[in-house]
Amino acid sequence: MSKKPTAGAKIGEKSHAWYYIQPVLAVLVTIVMIFPLYWMIATSLKSAEEVQLIVPTLYPHSIHLENYISVLTRANFLKYYWNTIVMTVGILVLQVGTGTLAAYGFSFGEFRGREVLFYVVLGALMIPLQVTFIPIYIMCANWNLNDTFLGLILPEAVSAYYIFMMRNTFLSIDRSYIDAGRIDGLGRLGTIIHVLVPMSKASIFTVTLVTFSNGWNAYFWPKIIARNEVRRVLTVGLAQLKQTFAGQAVANYHEIMAGAVLAIMPLVILFIVFQKYMMTGYSKAAMK
Amino acid sequence: MAETNLEAAAPEQKKPFFTARRKAKIVDFLMVVPALILLAVFTYYPICKLFQISLTDWNLLNDTWNFVGIKNWNWLFAGSGAKYMWNSIKVTILYTLGELAITMVGGMLFALLFNRMTRMFSAMRAIIFVPKYVAMSSAAMVFLVILNGNYGIFNYLLGLIGIQGVDWLNTKSTALFAVLMCTGWRVVGYGMMIYLSAMMGISKDYYEAASLDGATGRQQFFKITLPMLSPTTLFLLVTTFLSAMKVFQSVDVLTSGGPSRSTEVFVYLIYRYAMEDFRMDRAATCAVMFFLLLLIITVSTMKVSNNSVNYDA
Repeated sequence: MSKKPTAGAKIGEKSHAWYYIQPVLAVLVTIVMIFPLYWMIATSLKSAEEVQLIVPTLYPHSIHLENYISVLTRANFLKYYWNTIVMTVGILVLQVGTGTLAAYGFSFGEFRGREVLFYVVLGALMIPLQVTFIPIYIMCANWNLNDTFLGLILPEAVSAYYIFMMRNTFLSIDRSYIDAGRIDGLGRLGTIIHVLVPMSKASIFTVTLVTFSNGWNAYFWPKIIARNEVRRVLTVGLAQLKQTFAGQAVANYHEIMAGAVLAIMPLVILFIVFQKYMMTGYSKAAMK
Repeated sequence: MAETNLEAAAPEQKKPFFTARRKAKIVDFLMVVPALILLAVFTYYPICKLFQISLTDWNLLNDTWNFVGIKNWNWLFAGSGAKYMWNSIKVTILYTLGELAITMVGGMLFALLFNRMTRMFSAMRAIIFVPKYVAMSSAAMVFLVILNGNYGIFNYLLGLIGIQGVDWLNTKSTALFAVLMCTGWRVVGYGMMIYLSAMMGISKDYYEAASLDGATGRQQFFKITLPMLSPTTLFLLVTTFLSAMKVFQSVDVLTSGGPSRSTEVFVYLIYRYAMEDFRMDRAATCAVMFFLLLLIITVSTMKVSNNSVNYDA
């Protein structure tokens, strides 16, 4: 172990020392990386006094599950949960619906201007909501969409990214399958449902998971359009906890952390269940 | 295609306007219409409207507005807005460079560290990647706790090795660094996965041939791995750049742009003018400026890279 490993000797032949050093280093890095998550959970179980010890305790010395109840009741987290779920599902359904149809049109459809219109879609990738939110906000305000689900969902109802990814997926499917479907009397929707979707299940699933997680973690637009309690979503409500509890003499970090744990739970559970898909999702995007 | 078949089965009509072929084309076109309408209403119309608002004196607190020509642009470049605008550009670019370094250099180092295909390494990779799915506001909140100046564990641990910590998020010189720590934690696993899956796509033949020729591990890395990964690197560069420039949430939760505007990134500046001062005219002017900035940098990156990156994959 005294010999230093050659830098970059990871692929090709492995140096002897690196063989032993690598796992040790990897475990250390993993511990550092998991620490914030661990700390979130540990803090959420501590008492108000324990959180403020000058010498922090590494694990909660007494378990305080009532922090969670306090967040759920006092800070209206149940309502935020409901709002987040409706918003996320709404965005997901619309993006998948409009996106899949458009992806079909741009991959197998035949009409004049297809390429030009596809560039119009790609161009939208260059115009993020962070640039256009002012006119959209004014528009939504004129339509009385402040603090409504429609207001939360509509501006995100189509995703150029989703169309782009699904088009790539569809294009990798041989055209003869489409023609075979047509001969069997399938319409366009039939082709999508019975031919394209079954053949690209894994990709669709991954892209959809990414869409879901983007919706769940959305912050910027919900913060602007749903400023009041009625339609506040989890991410915004959590950040607000800082102010909600700020009036008190001590920062209620234990309760805020309980809120943070509640906010990430659904996605982390999804990640654990569908790990394979969620980890390859992004790398698929990179390969295309 | 049921309708089309019907049409074809009834040829006694004399040359209808909607021939089967034409009808098929129209239906094909209709499939992309919902998406195009939504893009028109929520992307292209607003970007045009934005240019227009930047030429008005629209203040949400007033009922009417007038066109004032380039007054806002004057304000942005030569007036009192200039100082904050340049500050925000500086902060945004520093932040973006930081996130790029973490995603690309950090991601590459992590990919080399976690590249073994055993069960234990695969579990560790999952742990490294999971922060990507932790909502930014949750992540920011836990870093608020960890980095707290008085009873945060980060300063405590630093104290153990004899370093006097500061109040990271409330000190002008360290706030941006602290924000980057939080983002870095979320994105480094992403860079790692992207690089790892690209590395696995490189044929082993190259390395075998190189070994036969006596190339060292270091030579193999710089002469084979890195060049072969150039499309991946470009992909990471462009996508990370675009998302890092748009950073808002971590700054909003961790520092609210402070202390004394040291973390006021561009989107935060726009947000502040629009939603706190209600100066839609100024906010729109900044937004147009931001859009042009994004456009110029992205297009020039693409131009440069088209000449230097190989897209064989």
